[in-house]
Amino acid sequence: MHKELADLINRHVSGAQAVAFIAADSKSDSSITVEASHIYKVVEFLKTNKEISFNSLHVISGVDYLEHMEVCYMLTNYNPEAVRDLILKVKLTDRVSPSVDSIVKLFAAANFQEREVYDMFGIKFNNHPDMRRILCPDDWEGFPLRKDYVAQKVYNGMNVYPDSKMNMEDREFIVRQDMIKKAQESKAQ
Amino acid sequence: MQSRWDIGQPERPTINSETEKLKSELLTLNMGPQHPATHGVLRIEIWTDSEIVAHAIPHLGYLHRCMEKHAESLDFRGVIPFVDRLDYLASMNMEWTYAMAIEKMLGTEVPRRAELLRILTGELQRIASHLMAFGTYALDLGAFSPFLYAFDYREKILRLFEEVSGARLLYNYIWIGGLWNDWTDDQLVRVGQFCDEMEEEAKKYHELVSLNKIFVQRTANVGIMTVQDCLDFGASGPVLRGAGMKWDLRKNAPYSLYNEFDFDVPVGTGEMGQVGDCWNRYIVRMKEVGESIKIIRQVLEKLEPGPVMGKVPKVMKLPAGEVYVRAECPRGELAFHLVAKADEKTPYRLKVKSPCFTHTSMLPRVAPGQMIADFVATVGSIDIVLGEVDR
Amino acid sequence: MSTQVHSESSFKQYFADLWNGISTTAKGMWITFRYVWAVKPVSIEYPEIREVLPERARMRLFNDTQNCISCTQCAMACPVDCIYIASEKLPEGTEIKKTSNGQAIRLKLNQFTIDTALCCYCGLCTTVCPTECLTHSHDYEFSAYTIDQMKYDYLAPDIVAWRDRIVKS
Repeated sequence: MHKELADLINRHVSGAQAVAFIAADSKSDSSITVEASHIYKVVEFLKTNKEISFNSLHVISGVDYLEHMEVCYMLTNYNPEAVRDLILKVKLTDRVSPSVDSIVKLFAAANFQEREVYDMFGIKFNNHPDMRRILCPDDWEGFPLRKDYVAQKVYNGMNVYPDSKMNMEDREFIVRQDMIKKAQESKAQ
Repeated sequence: MQSRWDIGQPERPTINSETEKLKSELLTLNMGPQHPATHGVLRIEIWTDSEIVAHAIPHLGYLHRCMEKHAESLDFRGVIPFVDRLDYLASMNMEWTYAMAIEKMLGTEVPRRAELLRILTGELQRIASHLMAFGTYALDLGAFSPFLYAFDYREKILRLFEEVSGARLLYNYIWIGGLWNDWTDDQLVRVGQFCDEMEEEAKKYHELVSLNKIFVQRTANVGIMTVQDCLDFGASGPVLRGAGMKWDLRKNAPYSLYNEFDFDVPVGTGEMGQVGDCWNRYIVRMKEVGESIKIIRQVLEKLEPGPVMGKVPKVMKLPAGEVYVRAECPRGELAFHLVAKADEKTPYRLKVKSPCFTHTSMLPRVAPGQMIADFVATVGSIDIVLGEVDR
Repeated sequence: MSTQVHSESSFKQYFADLWNGISTTAKGMWITFRYVWAVKPVSIEYPEIREVLPERARMRLFNDTQNCISCTQCAMACPVDCIYIASEKLPEGTEIKKTSNGQAIRLKLNQFTIDTALCCYCGLCTTVCPTECLTHSHDYEFSAYTIDQMKYDYLAPDIVAWRDRIVKS
């Protein structure tokens, strides 16, 4: 299904460069990757085309692979005869100020979902009506779900990780890690 | 600091001519975070025009616990206690969906008895969750005693769960590959008895609340969400079914063993008010209790002795890839987007698609034009759990 | 309360609504009134009467340190890292003791502390324990004045004395 769909997208949306990733076995899901600049047109095509008609957006999820970031759009069709899910992906190589076109005009669900992706990954969505953080406070620094995220030490004059409360010695678990190391060494011997 | 008002005010809605005469300045009213009707720590900023809501802005994040970030540093079994805490009123369904995602990637076969018992626990949990929704919804609208009756019967389910899993709310009972413990025959007999009692009790709730004139007046024709709205926002569960769309994953895309069971999908029919309003969403939940009882009875007939734990490796490592697994939970469709890398003991990324988050985003759509008291009824009728909204 | 309340209602409709309101309310009141005598109380008076907990109930953790082999599997399984274990090798020539199920204790346990304030009572640590010395007890009344008091050192004499109450051998 994914291969035909990718062909269909390429035929109707010029420059989308849809590539289907077909999973080797049932243990993993297939997906379609499209060019980031064409996402709005692709989603519009998938929504309005009568044969495919993915009429609902379930969720937008971001994944950080360090060398690039991905935004995954989970489209679904609420059609009792043929239930279908589609993972539609765009790849973003820019880590400093990544941005994609917003699809709020097509799916109202994208409003909160895109805000969450922005909150967690710092991916800006162009033409979004209300691009603010949603789960973290507005003045929070950094984007938590990036793999290279380091939590800020001081927030609004408050210490985020007060040593007195967290009991850092136990947290870092010097004792346990020593134990594991020793056990591994003794095993190696 | 940038003020909230700078984000652009919506156009002033024209409600009707009478209120236009009373035209005054918009008043900002904060509902929550400690408002009892928001079922947790949800803050909704309401701009009111006299008694009428002009615009509602949900502010989320008061219960944000970084669950998705935590999951990236925990092994696959260790995530389950955290998944429990997403929707703490339906922990069994949360665990089950998560276990399904991992099992799909591992290729584990779950024993038949375990699958059946998962359905049993899942449906019992659905009843418990809907009882909670029923009780607190009545409480929101000013009726106190239904809350107590509902909790009495919810307590019986929790007691069963406590006996079988050891905890009352956060079970850690459904494990990857099967179940932690088996149900004893004695407990299963008690489940059967509970079903009989619950059926009688549900009739009482129907008389007490569903058909009550005051309740109908408060909920019928209030907070109407059309099918088009629901599809636009990706809503699911009782909200979508209340809008009149016959959609249930257990029926339309059966997972586990649901294709072996005979049950109906209740939808809002507009008996009172009109399709898609609060009353229809409420009645869908109450009818689902009856359907769950049907399923449980069938499970009890089908159960045969056998193992409840499949074969899973002791040190769990998933193949590289990603899955998107959906399941029907009491509040809607829960889904996990799980990305795994080869030879890693932790999930690379675990994204939770929570139904409550989706439904909360619908509030700005339905709120304009409502009375404040009706807005409380609307928030109660979509039955959100903030643990799941904020994760 | 809905916007359609003001819709035109006929004279007949008015009385039908009135009757509907009174009858459904009376029905509800009757259901509630029955609870006065027909239903037994469902709550219990807690400090005087205590519920008997089910066998599998997961309350405060207890480690029977005499059977612990310091394998740290519980600490590895714990999702919130609330178990702290320190141990060292036994000096050479010491007699190696055995646990109740026959495993040799090759390490000397120096510290076994559980921070019950952090513990989430998920029960994952008890399932991995090879000697089944770490168990959930049925003790749920352990509130304390400071958060430090929630840390239980299971080698401390007062908690070892607690063993006699918990472990039946």
